[in-house]
Order: sequence, then structure tokens, then C-alpha cells
Amino acid sequence: MDAVKTQEAKEYIQSKYSAAPEVGMILGSGLGDLADDIEAATVIPYEDIPHFPVSTVEGHAGRLVLGELEGKTVVAMQGRFHYYEGYSMQEVTFPVRVMKALGAEFLFVTNACGGMQSSFRPGDLMVIEDHINFTGTNPLIGRNDSDLGPRFPDMSQAYDPVLRGKAFQAAETLEIDLKRGVYGGISGPNFLSRAELILLRNVGADVVGMSTVPEVIVAQHAGLRVLGVSCITDMAVGEEIVSISHEEVMETAAKTKPIFISLMKEIVKNT
Amino acid sequence: MSIQQQTKEAVQYIQSNISTVPTTGLVLGSGLGVLADEIKNPVVLKYEDIPGFPVSTVEGHAGQLVFGELEGMQVAAMQGRFHYYEGYSLQEVTFPIRVMNALGVKRLLVTNAAGGVNHDFEPGDLMIIDDHINWLGDNPLIGKNDAELGPRFPDMSSAYSKGLAKIADEAALSLNIRIQRGTYMANTGPAYETPAEVRMARVLGADAVGMSTVPEVIVAVHGGMEVLGISCISNLAAGMLDQPLSHDEVMDTTSKVQEDFLKLMKETLRRIAREDA
Repeated sequence: MDAVKTQEAKEYIQSKYSAAPEVGMILGSGLGDLADDIEAATVIPYEDIPHFPVSTVEGHAGRLVLGELEGKTVVAMQGRFHYYEGYSMQEVTFPVRVMKALGAEFLFVTNACGGMQSSFRPGDLMVIEDHINFTGTNPLIGRNDSDLGPRFPDMSQAYDPVLRGKAFQAAETLEIDLKRGVYGGISGPNFLSRAELILLRNVGADVVGMSTVPEVIVAQHAGLRVLGVSCITDMAVGEEIVSISHEEVMETAAKTKPIFISLMKEIVKNT
Repeated sequence: MSIQQQTKEAVQYIQSNISTVPTTGLVLGSGLGVLADEIKNPVVLKYEDIPGFPVSTVEGHAGQLVFGELEGMQVAAMQGRFHYYEGYSLQEVTFPIRVMNALGVKRLLVTNAAGGVNHDFEPGDLMIIDDHINWLGDNPLIGKNDAELGPRFPDMSSAYSKGLAKIADEAALSLNIRIQRGTYMANTGPAYETPAEVRMARVLGADAVGMSTVPEVIVAVHGGMEVLGISCISNLAAGMLDQPLSHDEVMDTTSKVQEDFLKLMKETLRRIAREDA
């Protein structure tokens, strides 16, 4: 069933853009503009792609952009699907299956998140070294299709060490102070309470966000090599938390955007 | 149809096929299914033939209930179990426990393969489960409670019988089998944990992580059964060794320690039978 849906989505996309992308990209809050730098772009709204859900969040455009970026053929998601919007985890991760089917070998995932370590600052960029799935579910629950991946995928190196190295090289070239840390993925949509933030930090997460983890689990299942980069848009230190609005998050994301875009392009160039 | 009604139908079907009342239930996890092959005068009922039973989908899990005598006791053994990650509801996962309970089973011996989180563990170790952490984000008792099956708020302060654990401990000692004790944490799976999740499990107090057992034990306790749980530590959890995890490795280790695990289970059953007598 899922395999058929993936195939239909793939065929539709290939009817609009025939080249196989090497790199799949998921552009999170505020980073959607990176897709504007894609050359010879073919833009496909999600609603036109068979079986794609439709994004509902402000600041997430909801279209697939295929073309050339820094000499690589890429397929970029401008806007993603979140569990908190009410989609199933299978719907949230459907585009990852499609990108794999299109031929992508790499998946670059970006997001906006809250920094739980007091050493972080709003506007910091962070390479995701590992994650904690705190969503309470898993996109692979259900019957396994062994053509897509193994029943019990190994997650011991979900974030590719070579790609992490390339990210730090790119940061050095661009003189960006790139952080590293563990991403805690929650369901949302509410931000965490103080007590929950302290709990999540105590169990080893450095930042907290509402995306990425399901996509990375499916990417790992599918055998994609994953890079994750977070933009810390607000501080989420339980002991010092002040109320936060989505507008403030978007504001920091907007400020950090140029440097985030140049970092991602530099990494794509060297992949 | 209510769980009680479904249970009744399954019980009627089973009772029409067996002539004795099982007192002890066995849930045989990855690699331990062969224990059921040693049951004398077995009556084998395939899950697909029992009304209300889901059907197992995982390699290495056979999917049948075996009734008969083992080490002097009347047992009902599940060869193969249902997992949450297969897409079953926790009510489906634990349905066989309800059925065993209704058949007259008073105690449940649950086995599984688990990843070692405790640094003192080695692959191939056997661990008596002292306690568990339900990290599934769900509970098989959510919903209307049937007071005939058990209390609305079951006590979990001693879910795992100290008496049965002591018997298993002594059985291991008598067989010179290295035994560990610890807390089992159930995650949904089916993806193995990340190293960060394994560190979290350790911080939270887990000694081993797995994808089964906890819902079954919650329902067993709800139904008033005494529980013994034993894990085979088939691998060290992610990030503890510089190598990836594979299901093949899990199956490989479980088959290596199978002999010890079988001996321990049989000796434990023998000792329980002696106490019963």
C-alpha cells in the first residue's frame, strides 16, 4: 500500500523533473528561502503530488523544489509535516520515502529548536549528533515492508559521522561557531513546561523541537545518509524560561537565515 | 465485542481441545520457543485458529499455544508473542494473557531478548527482571475497567514476584549459570534505541531495554497473576560498543545461550512444582 503510494508520488514528480536528485533537503522554519537559490528549479506544490499531505503551519510554504544547488542535483522540501498538525507519523515521513524513491542518497534535515543548555545562545547553529525520540510513538510501527528497510533498524549512528565532519569543515571555512548536541524530539504543539524542560535536559537532550526525529528514523530505515542541523531560535533552559511566542521564534530564525543558508550551501557543495 | 466476551469465546475453543487446567503460563520470547517442544502430551493450537487471537508477523516467532505437562506442571506456553511495534493495540498484545488467566493460569513466566544498558552486563547474560519501566507511552488497561478482570487501579509495587525471583535465582545457582538482576524498560521499537536514548534509559534507572513484556505483565498483575520475568541480554545496547546492532546478532546470541536459558527455565519450573506439591 505504502509502496504503491510512494511509487505514484515518485512517478508524478519524475513526470515534471526527470533527473535523479542526490541530496534531499528538509527546510525547516525560516530556512525555506534556501530553495530560492536552487537553479533551473522545478517547483511542485505538495497538493499536486499524489498522496502528499498538505502543510498547515505559517512560515511553511508546502512545495517540493527540484533543481541544481552548488553543482548538486537536489530535491528540497519547502515546508514539512508535523505530528502536532494531526498527521500520522507515516504521513509525516512520507516525503522521505518519496525522496529515497527518487534516488536521493543523502538527507539534510534542518529545523528550529529551543536550546536547553545555558551555553547556547539564540541564533546558534548546531549539528545534531544524536536524538532522543520523545514523541511517544514511532513511524515504523506496523507491518514492515522489507523492500523499504529492515524490521529492526539500527540507530547507533543515525546521523552520519562523515557528514557531521563536513559540516564542521564548512563552518570553519565560513568562520561559523557551530555547536553540536543531542536533539530531543517531542510531539508538541505546546512548548514544554519548566519541569519538562529540566527533565529532558537531565536525560541528555541539549535542544528540543517538534520535528526531525520521525524523518530521521525513516531515513535511517531507508538507508539514507543523514545530516541534521538545528537553528536555536530561543532559549529553553527550564530554570530561566520566559514565555515565548511563535513570532519571536520566527524573528530569530529570520536573523540567522543568511548564515544558515550559506552553511547549508557550503555543505552541499562539499558532499 | 467486549474483551470479556472475546476471552470467553477463546476459552471455550481452547477448553474444547484440552482436558486439563493449566496453572502456569509461559510467554516464550525470541529464541526460547523451543522450550515448548519439550512439553509432554502437547496440544498445539495455532493462534489463527483461536477466536480473537491476532496473528504474529515476526521472523523467529512461531505463533501457537502449546498445552501440556512440563517438569511436572500443567502449562500453557505461547510460542511467539504479539508486539506493539507490529501495529497491534496493547489490548491485542495482551489478549493471550487474559485468555490464560481465564483458563485458570495463576502464574506467568515471561521471557524476552533485551539489550543490556547496565555496564556490568555482557551479551549472553540472563537477567531476572526485578521491576520494569513502561516507556511505551501507552497502557493496556486504558479504557473502561471490567472489575471482574481486575481493579481499576492495579498496584505495581511488586509486579514481579519476589518469591518466584528467589526460586529462579536459586535454580541458576544450582546450575552454575551467571544471573543478573535488573529493571527492564520497554520502548515501542521497532527501531533500536539511539546511543542518546540508551544513556537516557540508564539515567532513568533501566538495566535493559526491549520491546515487549511490560504490557503483558501489567495485564497479568491486573488479573492477579504472579509474575516471573527473565531477559536474555542478547546484545549491549546502542553506543556501548563501537558497532552497529542487528537483529541477526540478537538471534545469534539468543541461540548461543539457549541451552542455559532452557535449563534455567526447566529447573525453575521443577522447583516451583515442588513448592506447589
